[in-house]
Amino acid sequence: MNHDEKHQKPKTPTITLRKFTLSDVDAFMSWAADPRVTRFQRRDPYSDPADALAYITTHILPHPWYRAICIDNTPVGSISVKPAPGEDRHRASIGYRLAYDYWGKGIATEALKLTIKAAFEELDHLERLEAIADVDNPASQRVLEKAGFKEEGILRKYVRLKGETRDMVMFSFLVSDAV
Amino acid sequence: MDEEVTLRPCDLADVDDLYEYASDDKVSAWCRWDTYTNKEDLLNYMKTCMIPHPWMRVICYRGRPVGSISVTPYTGADRCRAELGYVLASQYWGKGIATKAVKLTLETVFKDLKDLERVEALVDVENFGSQKVLEKSGFTKDGVLRRFSIHKGMVRDRILYSFISTDPLV
Repeated sequence: MNHDEKHQKPKTPTITLRKFTLSDVDAFMSWAADPRVTRFQRRDPYSDPADALAYITTHILPHPWYRAICIDNTPVGSISVKPAPGEDRHRASIGYRLAYDYWGKGIATEALKLTIKAAFEELDHLERLEAIADVDNPASQRVLEKAGFKEEGILRKYVRLKGETRDMVMFSFLVSDAV
Repeated sequence: MDEEVTLRPCDLADVDDLYEYASDDKVSAWCRWDTYTNKEDLLNYMKTCMIPHPWMRVICYRGRPVGSISVTPYTGADRCRAELGYVLASQYWGKGIATKAVKLTLETVFKDLKDLERVEALVDVENFGSQKVLEKSGFTKDGVLRRFSIHKGMVRDRILYSFISTDPLV
């Protein structure tokens, strides 16, 4: 290969977002059963697909905004937008998870960019998207920065995660940030 | 002055004293609630919210209720944190009473509320009085949360302050 090709970053594969169906349970297990992926999540990895099916049924399908991140229509991760409780409907928080084999390719960043655009278009009154990342999760912090989120500060002892109280970094993306 | 500020649980008999500031527009402007126009509504709020609250105290100055202060924990995985809120009758502003009430709260709340490690407060970017109270009480400014909350119909930027159980009491 020539000099240019050797130093070019591999292109991010084309990704699409779509709603989940029950038949996505096996694809779902490819990240949800992986402790490397669930490390910074509150839940432990799934071991029984029946539990995963129950989660898809009771949590994902009725969720206000939950999408599968797909390559060639096969889910390789998920991304969700959860409106704030009570009257703060102008604010919503983003969470995302990606199967380990698909890390480092720009997929999460691309999924975030698609989600930001869709969320501001589809969710009435939305003005602020926010996301928190563990202080020990620099990969996720980089993904948010690359997608255009702005860091607002470090929230000390913010959440309990697997028996430990963690410091989190708060990020936001305002509807006025999208130019 | 210090010894003159005390905290104690709320009693329904406090309604007359609490109504003095709850009916004051100047006080309610910075609060989530609207100015009270009758004592029955306030009594109802005291019965349903203040008395059963996990951590709520009346602020007394020389033995007389002049405000209230509360620490409201979150639930589940977020139970390590709780939100501080306080209100003070306007004629008692600027005397260091709120600061003293916050300091007294920090001395005991971490023992009173199981699992609590972080007390946080969200303050409007233009509420300079409250920002000073928190800074003088030893809170740290975590950052400005842009367009964070809706206050009386307007979306506002808020400053997030925190005090961790291991932070030094000032």
